[in-house]
Amino acid sequence: MNAETMVQMVGADLLKLRKKRGTLIWALVLAVGSQVVFFVVGALQHSSDPLHNAPVGGVNGLRHGLDLLCFFVGPLAAVLIGTEAGAGDSSAGVFRDLVVTGRSRLALFASRVPAALAMTVPLVTLGFAAMCAGIFLFAGSEPLPAVSTLAWCYAFALLANGLLCLVAVGLSSLLNSKPATITALIGWQLVLSPVIIGVSSLGATRELLLDAPLLHVDPVRAGHPEIAMSLIAVLVTVIAWPLVAATLGAWRTRTMDA
Amino acid sequence: MPTHRTHNSSAVPSQTAIETRGLTKRYGERRAIDGVDLRVPRGSAFGFLGPNGAGKTTMIRMLLGLTSSSDGSMSLLGHPVPADRAVALQRVGAIVEEPRFHMHLSGRENLRVVAAVRGPEARSRIVPALERVGLAERADEKVKRYSLGMRQRLGVARCLLADPLLLILDEPTNGLDPGGIQEFRWMIRAMVEQEGRTVFISSHLLDEVEKICDAAAIVDRGRVVTQGPIAELAGAGAREELILGVDDVDSALAVLAGTDTVLEAHASDGCIRVVLAFGPDTAAEVNALLVSEGVAVDRLEPVRHSLEQRFLEITSRIDDPTRQEVAA
Repeated sequence: MNAETMVQMVGADLLKLRKKRGTLIWALVLAVGSQVVFFVVGALQHSSDPLHNAPVGGVNGLRHGLDLLCFFVGPLAAVLIGTEAGAGDSSAGVFRDLVVTGRSRLALFASRVPAALAMTVPLVTLGFAAMCAGIFLFAGSEPLPAVSTLAWCYAFALLANGLLCLVAVGLSSLLNSKPATITALIGWQLVLSPVIIGVSSLGATRELLLDAPLLHVDPVRAGHPEIAMSLIAVLVTVIAWPLVAATLGAWRTRTMDA
Repeated sequence: MPTHRTHNSSAVPSQTAIETRGLTKRYGERRAIDGVDLRVPRGSAFGFLGPNGAGKTTMIRMLLGLTSSSDGSMSLLGHPVPADRAVALQRVGAIVEEPRFHMHLSGRENLRVVAAVRGPEARSRIVPALERVGLAERADEKVKRYSLGMRQRLGVARCLLADPLLLILDEPTNGLDPGGIQEFRWMIRAMVEQEGRTVFISSHLLDEVEKICDAAAIVDRGRVVTQGPIAELAGAGAREELILGVDDVDSALAVLAGTDTVLEAHASDGCIRVVLAFGPDTAAEVNALLVSEGVAVDRLEPVRHSLEQRFLEITSRIDDPTRQEVAA
């Protein structure tokens, strides 16, 4: 298979995602809408009671906004996109029609990955832009973050959401079910993982969680990670999660009855 | 593997579009397909007939690599499958069960998705394929607004993106209205007669297969019971029968009872149904005998044996004599 065909396949997967309006609207609400709601509500609270509510923008706003974008609501958007990319063909019943073209199943799986990322990046960018607008508009007397800090935060947001998107592509290809994948990932990332991270008796075992290295490299928590990790442990965990998910997804795509 | 490569000659194209030997699919102890030997000649419309649950779709899924076989060998357009599956399927278009699409995309976009997977040359075939199936004007509507018949046609258009030498269609007339079925029939015949494509149609609709196909195989309980040209299948082993219209049925039956030319005769709907003892050439003798005995004959019609009748006779599941009588 030549590069031109692969580019066309990625373009086709991107087309499928782009035209899935319901998913796209929900992803936008989660990535961008959550930021808008957070800053608008914070600004209203500050204007109604400035003594008890600090300005929502500035450095303080960056910390909360980034948590929202990278650990709480933003990843849901990445999960929606990744799940749609991974299980969209199967759930529409179209996978078999792609298989009968004779194209390798691994190629069919591989084209989903860049398409999902290509959809996630602009969503994260829009969410980040909304956050930056809130930080500057509602800074009040709060200090503003440096441009270099914002650049690191943007890179971190892409990393955190990109990783979860890749995991979602792999897991949904493995499970062949959008509801099961979304439920499993939301339950894991938003409920179980934060709980396990907080159980200090588990010690270094917690380094296996995806949140552990992300908290370690989070620019606004720099120097105050929840779990102390070596750089190698950070790299291994960050690479292992999407790699294992993608391997399982590719295996399932290659071997399942279509 | 060397044994596979010996089949893979692009210089001398195989004369068979589909060939299977001892093809078997087991689900646990149950054999969904049981040692099927099938040979589909190129440039023909071939029917794969069988009652529901006979194994038709399983067979198609194995041929296309959607599920693996348990035993036996198969080839498409001369290429062994699954060894050379990618090459074999380059010029194969297929609809398995009902055609499925991304409902949130338009007809044209759905074809773009498959064209992207097939390769750059397939993209240029999107417009001609849509025109060929009569969907050009509605190509930009979302598929969720299409009727089942339109989706069937879009499924055929998707097959045409491969510029297929072989089309494999599973129950293709499902959901088509009578006009659509007739259009579909013409399209298939044009593909075979004018474009030299091979069309393999799986169906339980005997009448459709009889009208569209040149040859057929009858499958029951995972086994191919018989295969060959439609006329041979319909006529093989059948008795030569006549329907006679006469002015006096009782007298005619009395005359026919006394001749060796007639094996069996009985009244049926005001006529007489006669089974000839020595083939169709003796029909004139029967007529002459009746006339010479003073019975006026106003109708003498050979009974045409249909594929349906033959199908009902040979599929072991349907052994109810009353149903055979109805079919006849």
